[in-house]
Amino acid sequence: MTRNLDKTLKGVLSAAALMVGLTSGSARAQFEVVIAPPADYLATTEPTYFEGHAAYWYGNRWYYRDGSAWRYYHDEPEYLREYRGRRAPHRYFYGRGREGFRRR
Amino acid sequence: MRRMSLVGFALVAGSSACAHTQSAEAGATPEQAAAELREHHRHHNQGGVTQFIAMSLDTLGAAEAKRPQIETIQSDLYACMTPAREVEKSLLTDLASGVAAGQIDEAGVDATIARLGPAAGAAHACAASSLNHLHALLSPIERAALVDKVQAHYEVWRQVNHEAEAGGQEKGGRLAELADELNLTPDQVSQMSNELRLKFAGPRTSVFEPKQAEAHLRAFETAFASETFDARLITANANGHLASHGARRMALFYETVTPILTPEQRTTLAAHLRQHADHQPVVAGQ
Repeated sequence: MTRNLDKTLKGVLSAAALMVGLTSGSARAQFEVVIAPPADYLATTEPTYFEGHAAYWYGNRWYYRDGSAWRYYHDEPEYLREYRGRRAPHRYFYGRGREGFRRR
Repeated sequence: MRRMSLVGFALVAGSSACAHTQSAEAGATPEQAAAELREHHRHHNQGGVTQFIAMSLDTLGAAEAKRPQIETIQSDLYACMTPAREVEKSLLTDLASGVAAGQIDEAGVDATIARLGPAAGAAHACAASSLNHLHALLSPIERAALVDKVQAHYEVWRQVNHEAEAGGQEKGGRLAELADELNLTPDQVSQMSNELRLKFAGPRTSVFEPKQAEAHLRAFETAFASETFDARLITANANGHLASHGARRMALFYETVTPILTPEQRTTLAAHLRQHADHQPVVAGQ
């Protein structure tokens, strides 16, 4: 029951966050709806550091934390575009039986 | 708490976009990395928040010049968890033997888990000096990234060890992944699901206290994001609670499903548990 309530609450809050994004002023703000990459992605992926924050390439966008919110770049910065062209995000694999649980 | 909610959004809303990401490794998918992380957090409970911090160093991506020192710090953190890791190894080995035999020694498991909590709790004080060095070494944005990663590990841990419904058959859940691993029949899955619901409502279940864990996390995150930091001043310590709850949940799961497995399935599962027992963390970069 607690889990269902939790899910419902998250759904309501997600919808509220989306509405805030859609009704706020600038076009840029519409694309700054606060949805972070999933926790398992943040925990297993190496970021790159740019403009004073850790940036994660996820879902074809660069996400970063801005204070208590998560945002993404609507227009991909040149530095990050070039970085992505040079290397894909490093993932860390923790699977049983892997050598040292590490593959890069 | 707001940070926890925001990451929670992602768990609900972010899964569809995940399919568009690319892995650095041919043949390895983002879903695979996520599944392996879930399996890891279900089976390895050695140091609670200290363990989340050590694991976060795997993917911090800090400046190259800092890596040797970070690796030393990570190695020291894992050394603090060695006593708990030894207890965990014993638990996993006992579970593997019990699974192979078709009967897990519940009293023996209980005694081992009773030793795990204090061992994991001791890692907190042991790690203080290393964490102070880590804070001094990292830049503010690297510290902030570390805090996000610690939080992310906790979110995944909490999902698999607390929020996931015992006996739930959802994709990515413990039972579904066991079904894939052992080619369980639908009848076996159904029977296990029913038994798990009963057992996890019974006296051998463990009650997780999120407030205790989150107080420890908040204390660490707030302090670590500050300019000055002294880990010795963090008095909250949920390491023992996190470790013993995760271990209890794992043990109860295997106690419940073992009688429903065929001899061949038990042999396979026992081998998998022994692989977990033999796990040694690898320090980033080695």
